[in-house]
Amino acid sequence: MKYQSQKVAKLYFIAAIGLFVGQILFGLIIGAQYIWGDFLFPTLPFNQARAVHTNLLIVWLIFGFMGAAYYLVPEEAETDLVMPWLAKLMFWIFLAAGAATIVGYIVMPFADLAKLTQNDLFPTMGREFLEQPTITKLGIVVVALAFLANIGFTILKGRKTVINLVLLMGLTGLAVFFLFAFFNPTNIVWDKYYWWWVVHLWVEGVWELILGSILAFILIKTTGVDREVIEKWLYVIIAMTLITGIVGTGHHYYWIGTPEFWQWWGSIFSALEPIPFFMMTVFAFNMVNKRRRNHPNKAAVLWALGTAVMAFLGAGVWGFLHTLAPVNYYTHGTQITAAHGHMAFYGAYVMINLAIISYAMPLLRGREAANSNKSQVLEMWSFWLMTISIVFITLFLTAAGILQVYLQRFSDNPLPFMVVQSKIELFYVLRELTGLVFLAGLIVYVASFFVGSREPEATVEGEVVAAS
Amino acid sequence: MNEPRFLLRPCTWVYLTLLLLTFITWFVGVNHLSGRFFAFLVFGFALLKGQLIGDHFMGLRWVAGPWRWAIFIWLVLVGTLVTAAFWRTL
Amino acid sequence: MEKPRWPPGDLVIWIFILAELLAFGIFFAAYAFTRANHVELFNTYQLTLDRNAALINTVALITSSYFVVRAVASIRQDDSRRCFHWLLAALAMGTLFLLVKSAEYHHHFSQGINLSTNTFYMFYLSLTFFHFLHVILGMVILLAVALKARRGCYSAAEHTGVETGASYWHMVDLVWMILFPLVYVMR
Repeated sequence: MKYQSQKVAKLYFIAAIGLFVGQILFGLIIGAQYIWGDFLFPTLPFNQARAVHTNLLIVWLIFGFMGAAYYLVPEEAETDLVMPWLAKLMFWIFLAAGAATIVGYIVMPFADLAKLTQNDLFPTMGREFLEQPTITKLGIVVVALAFLANIGFTILKGRKTVINLVLLMGLTGLAVFFLFAFFNPTNIVWDKYYWWWVVHLWVEGVWELILGSILAFILIKTTGVDREVIEKWLYVIIAMTLITGIVGTGHHYYWIGTPEFWQWWGSIFSALEPIPFFMMTVFAFNMVNKRRRNHPNKAAVLWALGTAVMAFLGAGVWGFLHTLAPVNYYTHGTQITAAHGHMAFYGAYVMINLAIISYAMPLLRGREAANSNKSQVLEMWSFWLMTISIVFITLFLTAAGILQVYLQRFSDNPLPFMVVQSKIELFYVLRELTGLVFLAGLIVYVASFFVGSREPEATVEGEVVAAS
Repeated sequence: MNEPRFLLRPCTWVYLTLLLLTFITWFVGVNHLSGRFFAFLVFGFALLKGQLIGDHFMGLRWVAGPWRWAIFIWLVLVGTLVTAAFWRTL
Repeated sequence: MEKPRWPPGDLVIWIFILAELLAFGIFFAAYAFTRANHVELFNTYQLTLDRNAALINTVALITSSYFVVRAVASIRQDDSRRCFHWLLAALAMGTLFLLVKSAEYHHHFSQGINLSTNTFYMFYLSLTFFHFLHVILGMVILLAVALKARRGCYSAAEHTGVETGASYWHMVDLVWMILFPLVYVMR
């Protein structure tokens, strides 16, 4: 750590991990509700628990991104953050608003929460992933603006690197597209149309820029490869991401009442969306192979490579699986989507967050370059436990999805939804059991922050490594 | 390095060939000439033009190894697919 | 002399070129196979396209590609000034392409044609507009290279940037070579 103000990142990372634990616990609850429909009913109905699961995911990922930005922007810009106090203040505001919202979801029916927060005055609540009360949404905007100002002025003041500019572009996009959460047309076609500008253009657009820049930063730091080489890769990856991702929005417009050309545009461009992810895989492995030195933080390198592979599989391959209009005609909104969602979010955004946390946390906690061997070993165990369980969760959901598509939509005698659900229950049981393994992995992950923290730092090939 | 000069540079010859093939394609087009012969004639010209651009303009002619064939393989793939789709409709 | 293993320009641009070619390849195949199911429709509306405009545009792109070849040749002889002038000429040809293509769009749009008119126009407009955007991107790259060439940033020894921009521009040209007969002529 070179700049004192980078320290604020630590708060954000800790909150991110805390919320991550919450997200997984709620995931297990709704996983159980897939098997026992009335589990925890009526205290915690499925729709509310699911909103908690997905909202916690988004919020902790954003906490992670902000932490990553506060960590890497000063280092790249070679100057302290302009307003570290603002970063701290916004952290507490964001955390409080997030926590209050989650508590609202849990303790009262959704309609009561809407009434309590005066949703009638300016209705924005209730749409999937954008369930938050209007007041929370406004809070998010304030936090985002303060955050962007802080990061933006720091970048303006200091050295302007490609990594910083791409990151800033991604984060600005994140804030700008969130504004469509306030746009709530009564026409349901337009409603869905713009809803995807938040949802799709986040995860298949601007978030990929954030992912790319964080990955590039970690690779520069851990491999010592020339910045120039890494920046060139970053350029083509983001160009390809934007070309395919923006028009690729069309793959959500097949069946919502939009003109037919979207079936072509959506199919062709979203079919190409795996390309930037594939480039990222090639890029990461290429850089690690060309490395000028071995970094003692092996765990961080493992997470970085894991991101590149799992993002390609989850977002790229599993996305391609059901992106073509003729295929999506059958698979739309089935467990295939759930399978893709789980592996894509884990592979792309969970893992990049864990990668930057893995790289930065030891430094933020006063280490020279890396954690002790003992805690790294534990962290790598958690990597494999969580990654392998997400692979199996994805495979089980894919199997459930294929059966569902066949029984409910494709066969000569289609069965009703609930009948099909009971027939594929076995896969939900398997998914839930695998989810428990994931939780075990997460516990090991959290433990890795405490175990071995008094032991000496890991070294490379027996020699002590000087400051990174 | 003394290369034999044929009055014009090699790249200029390529350029003139590209123009000639383009004019033939245009001629087929404005006269609405249709059917397998004309369609595949102009399409064959297009593939040939692509190969000339790849070889001479992009310089792959002077490259060894897999990249030498990058454009060629693309042209073969596109050529096969388009031919397969057009064949029975003409 | 041993042939190099890598194509001219930065390898990363070639990876980008391959990705772009893949995109266009898929688009071309989609056009061809969709046409096979709507032969009448495609043959009818293909006649509404302006082949003369397409000719001018094809010539413009070929010529500008040729100028770019000359620009690369100039910098290999350490002549940045001439390199800059050839690049300007290439950009002028690119501008001509954009103008002619815009006039074609204007003609179609003034007749009320849009993406939903029919499948043929959907493909015609999408394909050519996707290519149109690539012409613009290619011109931005060429302009950046031209300005650097004028400042004397390239030399006979180091001119990877010129080759990189040139390779991308030739790709834009190459794709149009297929698009022209496929959409305007073959029937």
